[in-house]
Amino acid sequence: MSWQAIFTAMLPEHFLLAGIVVLICLEIAPSRLRGAFAVSLLAVTAATAAAVWLSFIGYASAPFPGQYSMDPIAALGKAIVLALAVLVLLIAHDEFEQRAFPVLLLSSLYGVCLLLSADSFLTLFLGLELMSLPVYALVLLAFRRPESAEAALKYLVLGGTATATLLMGVSLLYGSSGSLALSVFADALSSTNTTAGVAVVLVVVGYFLKAAIVPFHTWAPDAYEAAAVPVTAYMATIIKAGVLLAAVRLFGNAPLSRPMADLLAILPLLSIVWGNLAAMRQQSFRRMIAYSSIAHAGYLFYALLGEGPGRFQAVAFYVLAYGLMNLLAFAALPQDPDDMARDRMDNLKGLFHRDPFAALMIGIAMLSLAGIPPFPGFIAKFLIFKNVIAAGFTLYAVLGLVGSYLGIYFYLRVIQYLFMSAEEPTAVQGASGRLALGASFICLLGAILLAVFPGWVIGQL
Amino acid sequence: MADAGLLNVVLFLPLAGIAAIVALPARQDEPVRRLSLAVMLVQFAITAWLYTRFDAAVEGLQFETRLPWIASWGVYYQIGLDGYNLLLVLLTAFLGPLVVASAFTAIQKDVKLFYAMVFALQFAMLGTFLAQDLFLFYLFWEAMLIPLFLIIGIWGGARRIYATLKFVLYTAFGSILMLAAVIYLVYSLNATTGVTSFAFADLYRSQLPLPVQTVLLAAFALSFAIKVPIVPLHTWLPDAHVEAPTAGSVMLAGVLLKMGTYGFMKLAFPLFPDATRLLAPVFGTLAVVSIIYGACLALVQTDIKKIIAYSSISHLGYVMLGLISLDLLGIQGAMIQMVSHGLIAGGLFLMIGMIYERCHTRELAAYGGLAKLLPVYSVFFAVLTLAAIGLPTTSGFTGEFLVLLGAFRAAWPQYVHGAPYPLIVSASAVAGVVLGALYMLWFAQRFLFGAAKAPHLPLVDLNLREKAILASIVVAVFALGLFPDEPMRKTELAARQYQQLVGSERTGARMASRPVATPLAPLDALPAANAATRVESAR
Repeated sequence: MSWQAIFTAMLPEHFLLAGIVVLICLEIAPSRLRGAFAVSLLAVTAATAAAVWLSFIGYASAPFPGQYSMDPIAALGKAIVLALAVLVLLIAHDEFEQRAFPVLLLSSLYGVCLLLSADSFLTLFLGLELMSLPVYALVLLAFRRPESAEAALKYLVLGGTATATLLMGVSLLYGSSGSLALSVFADALSSTNTTAGVAVVLVVVGYFLKAAIVPFHTWAPDAYEAAAVPVTAYMATIIKAGVLLAAVRLFGNAPLSRPMADLLAILPLLSIVWGNLAAMRQQSFRRMIAYSSIAHAGYLFYALLGEGPGRFQAVAFYVLAYGLMNLLAFAALPQDPDDMARDRMDNLKGLFHRDPFAALMIGIAMLSLAGIPPFPGFIAKFLIFKNVIAAGFTLYAVLGLVGSYLGIYFYLRVIQYLFMSAEEPTAVQGASGRLALGASFICLLGAILLAVFPGWVIGQL
Repeated sequence: MADAGLLNVVLFLPLAGIAAIVALPARQDEPVRRLSLAVMLVQFAITAWLYTRFDAAVEGLQFETRLPWIASWGVYYQIGLDGYNLLLVLLTAFLGPLVVASAFTAIQKDVKLFYAMVFALQFAMLGTFLAQDLFLFYLFWEAMLIPLFLIIGIWGGARRIYATLKFVLYTAFGSILMLAAVIYLVYSLNATTGVTSFAFADLYRSQLPLPVQTVLLAAFALSFAIKVPIVPLHTWLPDAHVEAPTAGSVMLAGVLLKMGTYGFMKLAFPLFPDATRLLAPVFGTLAVVSIIYGACLALVQTDIKKIIAYSSISHLGYVMLGLISLDLLGIQGAMIQMVSHGLIAGGLFLMIGMIYERCHTRELAAYGGLAKLLPVYSVFFAVLTLAAIGLPTTSGFTGEFLVLLGAFRAAWPQYVHGAPYPLIVSASAVAGVVLGALYMLWFAQRFLFGAAKAPHLPLVDLNLREKAILASIVVAVFALGLFPDEPMRKTELAARQYQQLVGSERTGARMASRPVATPLAPLDALPAANAATRVESAR
C-alpha cells in the first residue's frame, strides 16, 4: 500500500470527497455562504477529468489489494458516469435551494465510484449502499407532493430488500468458498454446486432489484414520479449506469452456464415487454420514463449474455447513448413552478409551436430511446443484439427485438404530442433555464458524436 | 474520382438544404420555398449528369466511395451507382423538385419544418438506394420512417394520426425482424468464412443451409413485402395515401414503394437464392394476387385518391412478378415498371392534389365533366390515365409488356417450361391488365366526362407552375415509352447479375451431403432459356 497509489488511483474519489467537505463547511459557515453550485460543479468536473486522464494513460494499480483497484476499464466507467453527473448538475441548478441536495448527490456519486473499483464484496456492498442511501433522501428532499413520502419509503424498503438479498447471496458464496473476493462470483457462475447456484441467483436478484427489472420494478415508477426532475434524471441515468457497469465488473469475462443465461435473459425480456407495454398508458412524463427505463434495464442486462470482452463495450456504449438521451429530454422539458403540472404529458402538446428547439430536442431523445436510426440509441441496441446473436442466443435476441418494437408506439406518441396535437390552453409556458439549455446542447453534441462517429467511440471503449 | 465526389454531393445535398432553410430568417415562407426548389433542381441536374456518365459496359459499382465507418464491425460507408439503383436514384432526384413545387400553395403551416422533412426524406431515400453496405442500408431504410411519420402526421387529412401511426408501426414491425436477420446473416458469414463484413458484395458469397435461408428470406421478405406492399400486407397503404398531403403521397407512391421491390431485387432474392427458387411460385402467386386484388379494390372505390392507391398495389404486383420470373426480359421489365409507376402514380397523385386544392373533396361522386370545366387539366389527366393502363408509346406499356413476356417464360426450376402453373399465373396477370383498363377508364369517364359538376365553381385551370410540373412528368412518361432502349442498356448487366445470383446454388458445404427436397435445374440451363427468350422477343 503506497500513499502515492492511494492518491493517484482514487483521484476521482478524492475530488468528490473534497467537494463534499467544502459543501459541508459552506453549510455550517456562520453567514450562509453561496457558491454550493460552483463547488459541486467544480468537484464533479475535476473528478471527471481525473477519471478520463487515468483511463487515457492506462493507469492500473491496487492501492488496497483485494479490496479496491483501479484499471483503465474502471476509470472509463467512472468517466462516463461522472460526465453524465456533470450534466445532471447543470439541469439541477434550481434544486440547490434544498441545501442538502449537493452533498447527497456527491455522496451518492462517491458510492458509484467505489462500486466500479470494487474487488471484494465488502467494497461492493459499501459502494452500493453509499450510492443508494442518499438517493432515498433525495427522492423525499423536495417534498413537492404527499406521495413523495410514500414513494421514498417504498424505494427504501425495496432497496433494503435488495441489500438483504445480495448479502444473503454473498454469505452463501463465502460459505462455499471461504472468500469474499469478487472473482468468487465468476467461478460460481460455472459451478454445478447447488449452494453456489443459489448464491449466484440471490446476488443477481439483488442487482435486478437495484436496476428495476420486472418483477422487482414496482418501486421505480413511484420513485421516479415523486422525485424532482433532476433526481429522476439522476436515478434513470447514473444509478442505472452504476448498477450495470458494476454488474459487468462482477461477471467479468466468465462464460455463462445455460440455466444462468436463461435467468439473465428471461427476466430482462419480461422487463422489456412489460416496461414498453406499461409505458403506453402513462399520463405522467416521469412515470413513462420510469417504465421506459425498466425496458432499457432489460436491454442492458441482455448485454451480459454476450461474450466476455464485448460486455463492457456494449454496456458502456449503451449507457452513454441512453444516459445522454434521457438527460436531453429532461433538460429540454419546459419549466414550471408547479411540479405536478410540469409532469403532465398533455403539457407537451403543441410544444413545437411554443418552443421549437425544446420540441426538437425531446423528439430526438424519444426517437433515440426508441432505437430508431440514425440516432445513437439504434447503434447501442444494435451492438447489444449483435453480441447476443454472436453468443448463440438467437431466439432471445429475436424476442428482445420484438419486445423493443412494442416500445416504438409510446415514444411516437410523445412525438405526436409535440408536433401534431393542438396546444393545450393550460400548458406550461416557461422556457428552460440557460444552464439546462447548455446541458441540452452538450447532450446533442454527444449524440451527434455517437451517431456520426460510432466507430471511433467504440474504439475508445 | 470527381464523379464519385459528385455522387456524395447528390446524397448530402438535402442535408445542406436543411441547414440552409434553417438559417433563413423566420416567418418568411417564400424564400424557403424558392431555396428548396433550387436545391432540388441542382440535385436533379447533378444526378442527370451522372446518369449520362454512367457506363453501360461496366459491371458492378461506378462512382464508388468506400470509407471505414465502424471499423471493428466491418461496417463501411460505401455508396455507388450500379444498374440496380441507377434508374431509381434518377427517379428520386426527378420527383424531388416536382414535390417541392407542388407544395408551394398546398402547405401553409410550418413551412420550414415541412421542407426540412422533405429534404430528410429525400436524403434517406437516396441513401437507401445508394448504400452498398447492409448496415448503412438498414440505417437509411429505418430513418426514412421519421420524416414520413411527421409529413403525414402534421400536414395530413382528418384521420392523419391514425394513418401515420399505422404506417410506421406496420413498417417498423417488418424492419425489426429484418434487423435480427441482418445480424444473423453477418454473424454466420463470419462463422463460415471468417470475414466480418456488411458489404453486399461479400454477403452475396455467404453459404447458408436451405432451412436457414428460408427463415432469413422470410424475415427480409416480410419487411420488403410490407413496403411494396404485397397483398395481404397492404392495409396500411390506402390509409397512409388518403391522409397524406400530396407531397407525401407522391413520395410514397413514387419512390417509397420501390424501396420494397428494390430490396427484393438487391437483397432478399440474391442473398438467399436457393430459398428464393424454392419459393418462387409462392412469390409469383402473391404477385398475381396483388395485381388482381388491387385492381378489383380500385374498381369499387369512391375516393379518387384511394383508386390510385389501390392501383399502386396492382402495378407493383407486376414488378414483383417480373423480378421473380427470373427471366431476363421480365427482370428488365420490372426495372422499367418501377420507374414508370413512379412517374405515372406520382403524376396522378399530383393531379389529385391539384383538384383537391381547388375543391377540397376527394369524393368521386362530387365531380363530373371536368373536360369542360378544366380542359388543360383534363388533357394531362387523360394522358396519365392512358399511361397507367399501359397504352403503347407510354412507359406503362414497356414495363408491363416486358414483365408479362418474362412471366410466360418464368424460369422456375420446379416447373419445366410450358408446365401449367407458371402459365396459370401469367395468364391471370394478363387478366389484371384488362381489369386495370377497366377501373382506370371507368374512373376517367366519371371524372372527366358526363354532366359538368364540381363542388366549387368556377374552377381555375392549371397555372404555369402546375403545367410545368405535369408537362415534365408527361415528357418523361413518353421518353421512357418511346426510347426504353437507353435505360435498358444501362441496367442490362445488373439484370443479368441478379439473374445469375438468384440462379446460383449457395446452400453451403454442410448441406451438400443431404438431398435437397426439390430438384433444381442445372445452372447453365438458365442462360440458355434466356437466350431463347431474347430470340423470340426479337421476332
